[in-house]
Amino acid sequence: MNTGPYSEQAVCEFINGNFFPVRTECNWDHPTEAMRRFGVQWTPAFIIHDPDGKEHHRFVGYVPTDDLLAHLWLGRAKISYNSDRHGEAIPLFETVLSRHPAAGAAPEAAFLRGVAGYKESHDPKELRRAYDLLVARYPQSEWARRAEPYSAISL
Amino acid sequence: MQGIRWDTDFLAALAKAKEAGRPVYQDFWFDG
Repeated sequence: MNTGPYSEQAVCEFINGNFFPVRTECNWDHPTEAMRRFGVQWTPAFIIHDPDGKEHHRFVGYVPTDDLLAHLWLGRAKISYNSDRHGEAIPLFETVLSRHPAAGAAPEAAFLRGVAGYKESHDPKELRRAYDLLVARYPQSEWARRAEPYSAISL
Repeated sequence: MQGIRWDTDFLAALAKAKEAGRPVYQDFWFDG
């Protein structure tokens, strides 16, 4: 388990208040049915499922508190985004960026916030703003490179 | 401090999630 962050009150409260948490023990000598079902190849591994059990976000390896909270917000945002509830997803992506700007999940949140903004408003400037944000804050990230085509959109 | 209220049964957690409309956070761990 990701035992470090779980010893922090804020993490416990956030998880208890926003998710139904479940822990699944793995056994590498005798892989379990759950490991096969979810394709778990390494631990710790974390999956965020919507209430119907559909996977929306996954991350692998130890993550410190700031990264964990960012992933949890991002997972919530992606559930809304993947369900075409873009107006609901936008503030969740923005929460990743405002509360956890240095987290590893932040560039993905910035990219998807731009796409969600475009889908919600049909205004391509949303994509250009996402590109500008990524270049300004996360210029080395893959997400900045993925957004590069949006640099041609006029503001 | 109140810790995380873990379930160990995914399907039980999913049933609660469906009823409450709240997502499931699943942690796969190995005690090596």
